[in-house]
Amino acid sequence: MTALLIFAILAILLVTGMPVSIALGLTVFAFLFGFTGIPMDSIALKLFTGIEKFEIMAIPFFILAGNFLTHGGVAKRMIRFATSMVGHWYGGMGLASVLACALFAAISGSSPATVMAVGSILIPAMVRQGYPPQFGVGAVATAGGLGILIPPSIVMVMYAVATSGMVVTGPNGEQVMSASIGTLFMAGVVPGLMLATMLGATTTYRAWKNDYPRMPRAPWSERIKAFRESVWGLMLIVIIMGGIYGGIFTPTEAAAVSAVYAFVIAVWVYKDITLREVPKVLLASAAMSAMLLYIITNAVMFAFILTSEQIPQMLSSWIVDFGFGKIGFLLMVNVILLMIGMVMEPSAIVLIMAPILYPVAVKLGVDPVHFGIMLVVNMEIGLCTPPVGLNLYVASALSKLGLTEVTRASWPWLLTALCFLAALTYVPEISLALPRFLGLN
Amino acid sequence: MTLRILDRLEEILISVLMAVAVALIFVAVLHRFSIGFAADIVGFARTNDMPALMDFARSFFKTVNAIKLTWAQEACIYLFVWMAKFGAAYGVRVGIHVGVDILVERLTGAARRLVTIVAMSGGVLFTAIIAWIGSDFVYHVAKGGQTSPDLEIQMWIVYLAVPLGSALMCFRFVQALWLYVTTGFIAHHDHGAVEGLEEEAEDLSKGAHA
Amino acid sequence: EPVVIKFSHVVAPDTPKGKGAEKFKELAEKYTDGAVKVEVYPNSQLYKDKEELEALQLGAVQMLAPSLAKFGPLGVQQFEIFDLPFLMNGYDDLRKITDGEIGKSLLSKLEDKGITGLAYWDNGFKVMSANSPLHTPDDFLGLKMRIQSSKILEAQMQALGAVPQVMAFSEVYQALQTGVVDGTENPPSNMYTQKMHEVQKHATISNHGYLGYAVIVNKAFWDGLDPAIREKLSQAMAESTEYANSIAKQENEAALAAMKAAGTTEFHELTEDERAEWVEALKPVYEEMSGRVGADLIEQVRTTLGSTN
Ligand code: NA
Ligand code: NA
Repeated sequence: MTALLIFAILAILLVTGMPVSIALGLTVFAFLFGFTGIPMDSIALKLFTGIEKFEIMAIPFFILAGNFLTHGGVAKRMIRFATSMVGHWYGGMGLASVLACALFAAISGSSPATVMAVGSILIPAMVRQGYPPQFGVGAVATAGGLGILIPPSIVMVMYAVATSGMVVTGPNGEQVMSASIGTLFMAGVVPGLMLATMLGATTTYRAWKNDYPRMPRAPWSERIKAFRESVWGLMLIVIIMGGIYGGIFTPTEAAAVSAVYAFVIAVWVYKDITLREVPKVLLASAAMSAMLLYIITNAVMFAFILTSEQIPQMLSSWIVDFGFGKIGFLLMVNVILLMIGMVMEPSAIVLIMAPILYPVAVKLGVDPVHFGIMLVVNMEIGLCTPPVGLNLYVASALSKLGLTEVTRASWPWLLTALCFLAALTYVPEISLALPRFLGLN
Repeated sequence: MTLRILDRLEEILISVLMAVAVALIFVAVLHRFSIGFAADIVGFARTNDMPALMDFARSFFKTVNAIKLTWAQEACIYLFVWMAKFGAAYGVRVGIHVGVDILVERLTGAARRLVTIVAMSGGVLFTAIIAWIGSDFVYHVAKGGQTSPDLEIQMWIVYLAVPLGSALMCFRFVQALWLYVTTGFIAHHDHGAVEGLEEEAEDLSKGAHA
Repeated sequence: EPVVIKFSHVVAPDTPKGKGAEKFKELAEKYTDGAVKVEVYPNSQLYKDKEELEALQLGAVQMLAPSLAKFGPLGVQQFEIFDLPFLMNGYDDLRKITDGEIGKSLLSKLEDKGITGLAYWDNGFKVMSANSPLHTPDDFLGLKMRIQSSKILEAQMQALGAVPQVMAFSEVYQALQTGVVDGTENPPSNMYTQKMHEVQKHATISNHGYLGYAVIVNKAFWDGLDPAIREKLSQAMAESTEYANSIAKQENEAALAAMKAAGTTEFHELTEDERAEWVEALKPVYEEMSGRVGADLIEQVRTTLGSTN
């Protein structure tokens, strides 16, 4: 009952179109003033301490690193390299756009920016080569979502933050440790590559069926040259993953170091931006980070209200008593997340839903890392589903095709992603094999 | 004029906080590296019985290790707390706070106007409440005299970011509401913005990829 | 209508502190015939480590058992004396402090902050762990050692030639696993429950430092209670303290045995000579930190213990 009330207030506030963070905060106050005896002071405390964690500080650092390299020049280098490698296969440029999205995703944490950067260069080029515009739009809009699955990923940091410090128990009552940022990043690698491969396969299949043009095979000299140009950008992911796994930095430190690295590369190696433009990048990154940190603060307050009303605990025992089982529960989670994903943005969904679903998942024996990756893939699909899907918006703006047209163009790839989600949900090894192999748990 | 100065100050503050935090953590990592390096030299000198090198390495190690940077993490957190609170206010001005605008987009005329005004007033209300509770909280903390564990600065100064940032944010919401009521304009941040794409499009038309 | 005491803490219910809190609930409700109701909130359910002291001062909760290290930042730096290495030699020394005049006078210093201190609960004496043997101070050279925020622990690690790294408890396991830090210090029970023995090859049972908690209540709340009830609650607290401390000791012994049995960590007992070397190397900590905790307090402790360290 209480749960329904809380979520009803939240839903009403959300549909007015007010910022999600504000809606969360006002829900908390509406509930406090109207329905419960929790003292106001205890809430004030959460305003200050909600983001007082060093792990959370990885978010602004990763955003800054990404923003230094989220530039047309970097995208162009990635595209050249991708095209030289796979351009001669069926669907050449389409395949190259998927690969370029995957490469760009390893630098940028932002899916819409990936769609924009890769799409604005490749979609017109594909049209000139004789592809229908729908083909490129569909491939890029979906592949752009790889940004949050291939590390570094802000959404993964959000999940780690939302669940860390929660003391939860497994099916046998044993205490289960929450997923760390480093392990989640490592766990995202295989699913990221796998999804990229599947999206690529869909691209090639459709190109082969429709007999779209191929490009001439690029000579190795050109490939090596293209690789040498893009390698400086790609080193970012090597620094982050190698640094965390090699015990050189903590994830937050890795993020800060990668921001400095990205700055050096962008200004002095690539010369894409000048020193005079650096304050602009800092400002844009600070604003984006502040927006996310503001959602976190208010989501922490919201979660506090939920816990003090015992809502996750009730939900947990209800689901366990109902006998959903692991399979049924995971199916339910996917359906719920895909539905919410239609109308809301990833960070807010993860921050609101993870604290509720995570204890239940662990209780049913789902690995926290596996569950996190599952959430991320759901969010990724949500970016490409109407009516609210940032990737679709960007693709639509780029191609001058309407939202319905873009959605229709994307369906083969979206269907592929859904198949992948099903596999990932029920085969935990896809996400867990690599971290286990590396001895991280 | 005063407003323009406030706008600039807000932008400079959050950009500088971001830059300082990055630099600080980067230096802290470098510092840890150099200590590790110095310790390795000491170990090398010890196993290879090189007393001269050992003396040098030991003094190098002592010098570097005497620089205390254990406060860097705490400082980074506080810098970002300030950046977050003031950046959120800046975000209202540029329309970066995302909402679920699917329903509003379908509305027209007076209904749309009304819902939008309600939504923006929600922002005014919430940030005003926070500014008020926040001040009260800061007052309590100041009386308690608590300091931070590493930097040992007064906690109320750190916490001041909340009422100040929220008051500024409230002001920004009022500003945005006023702008909407008078001109119908709403700021919208473009989340898919990427720099440096125009020149690339030109490149392609010259046949670089064909 | 019973008086409600919200007792919030940040650890699991099956830890010594968690069990102590439950014991207090049981006894308090029994001795007061239900006039007092104690609600225990474990696992940071209500407030996290960084929030709970403020929550108590604001009256959002009535009772806590925070780590002694939390009182320095609150403005009572004398509590940092518990962090001084080799100040006390074992539990006999510890009790002379916590049950004696010094312990009482330390707790009374919290009154100004709106807090009444009721009791000291043990976590335990610490072992030093790393991936290389730690026999003499020379073995610490250049090792990155995780500490919790504390000027004294920072000075202690530096005096040993190690590099102190402040890090949240929740991050320590992975940091040890990947090698961001080389080692750390913990009472055996913490080391075991956080599975740190899986990622530490060596540990030295040095008992160089002590980790403990103080059970505290909101002063206004406590003073406002009926004196007869306060009396009964004090009785309940005294008995649960004894209970919590005996459990803490057992758990540390059991954890040590379990870790030795697991065989992933080689445990070393500090010899007399080695201990003397550590004590010598750590002398500068006392010089550097006497200004913080007060030279006279250190002297008072030494007189009480009759020690020569
Ligand atoms: Na990414
Ligand atoms: Na969507």
